Amino acid sequence: MFDKHKTWSKLFAEKGASLHSYLLRRVAHRWDAQDLAQEVYLRLLRIDPADAASIRNPEAYLFTIAANLIKERAVMRQQSPLSSEGLEEVIEQLSTPCNAEADMDRELRQQRLGVLIQRLSPKCRAVLVMHYRDELSYREIAGRLAISTNMVKKYIVKGLAACRQRMADYE
Amino acid sequence: MSKTTNFEAGRRARRISEQAVAWYLEQQDHPSERQRAAFLAWLHVSPAHVAEYLAIAQMHGDLKAAASMETMAAADLVEQARRENPVVVFPLVVADMARESLASPQYRHPWRRTLAQAVAFAAIVALVLLAGWQWRMTAGNLRESYAADADSIRDVRLPDGSLIQLARNSQIHVRFDARYRRVEVIRGNALFEVGKDPSRPMLVRVDGHILQDIGTVFDVKRDADSDSLTVISGRVRVWNAPRDGAGEIKIDVPHVQRSGDKIADLTAGEQIQLSSSGIGTIRPGQVEQATAWLPRDIRFQHETISDVAQRFNAYTSTPLVIEDARIADMQISGVFHANDPQAFSAYLATLPGVRVVHDSDRVRVIALSGAGDTKAGSL
Repeated sequence: MFDKHKTWSKLFAEKGASLHSYLLRRVAHRWDAQDLAQEVYLRLLRIDPADAASIRNPEAYLFTIAANLIKERAVMRQQSPLSSEGLEEVIEQLSTPCNAEADMDRELRQQRLGVLIQRLSPKCRAVLVMHYRDELSYREIAGRLAISTNMVKKYIVKGLAACRQRMADYE
Repeated sequence: MSKTTNFEAGRRARRISEQAVAWYLEQQDHPSERQRAAFLAWLHVSPAHVAEYLAIAQMHGDLKAAASMETMAAADLVEQARRENPVVVFPLVVADMARESLASPQYRHPWRRTLAQAVAFAAIVALVLLAGWQWRMTAGNLRESYAADADSIRDVRLPDGSLIQLARNSQIHVRFDARYRRVEVIRGNALFEVGKDPSRPMLVRVDGHILQDIGTVFDVKRDADSDSLTVISGRVRVWNAPRDGAGEIKIDVPHVQRSGDKIADLTAGEQIQLSSSGIGTIRPGQVEQATAWLPRDIRFQHETISDVAQRFNAYTSTPLVIEDARIADMQISGVFHANDPQAFSAYLATLPGVRVVHDSDRVRVIALSGAGDTKAGSL
């Protein structure tokens, strides 16, 4: 268990964001996301304070716990016997039964999110689109809008939080 | 669940979202040891933090695809964002006002061309001057036309603190000088919450009538055959406009009192029809109906309490009056049902150092005596 833990941690640390969303996308269909969060939280609390200090990458750690839980849940339900310890295979297993549904969902979600972005204030909208669509850096965006990079970051935080809040209304 | 707890929950949820986003972005950007420890501590605070963080991570995965649905070019988005600055597209009031005496009618058109050329430069100057609302130039003089397009309601905040909300397809002309604040409703539907400025009365022209505000919120609706005025709170006096003033607001109080005649005084909750043939009788107005075009909920992010209160006052006959300057400047975020100002005042009462007093015609927000330095509580 510990070794596997380490491997996944490394994987999450390396692959970061793309892997998170991939993982979480699958979760929605297998498990209520709130339940998952609760469980993750409980496990986080169980970390010995001494160990907590040695967690070098809490984010990777967080997703590792999540992945473990998802896998355990799958085993418990005997839905998909797992032969491998590898995360990719776990995810593969998780995604297989309802891939089409997941994809449809994702498309719907992305469309909603796209609409929400267009409804943001012109500045938030410009900043988000330039960053996520055009892949401009904060600095480049700051230059084009004649504002500080700090303000760019603020607009991103504001914009994403607003989108998230409105997405939550759909749930 | 009461509305207040609903609101509290909404407000907290928004704050957690913002924190989660900030943490998320930080984690993607090579956080320091210390930042990581702080992040872990934040996760430890509540399962809601964990849940929100996971949700943000998921949403983040959709952002590239979602943002790519945007068809506007970056340059156009930038242009639109620049135009967002809510005040003064033609900010040449300084030169303008210096030249022109109150009664001179020739100021309107000769300026236009040079004005357009000067706009680019002047807009930059105005942006600088307006930063942080430190707008003191020319003591609030202003000449501007504001219009809302077919797609959305527009909020116009004026330098005197007035808030004018324009319904879709509405237009107003605004002209402030040293003596008067004058607004003409050209078309559509506008709701006025008039800022206090005892030295400069506000006069609103609606076709053949002049409305004189006395510290007030009111709604003006222009229609093909008649206009209607609904007073939400405060008092409004209606005059007949002098005949010679067509096309321009050049009315002033002595002028009106000389040549026009006072035709009605309205108070909160009253409505009247105005047409060229005369006026209807004053009758109890449907405040809800008159304000049905306004947004159904009020969303605000890091806005001052006084600005938010002003928005609620568009919907109620018992306006919120923030009497303490420190409270007025406190920043808050949240979402409310617009026609439920009680929930908002109940929320204000929960803030540290704040007391809410319900009078018959207003709700006063005052400082709790003896309250020390306070701040909206953190999680």
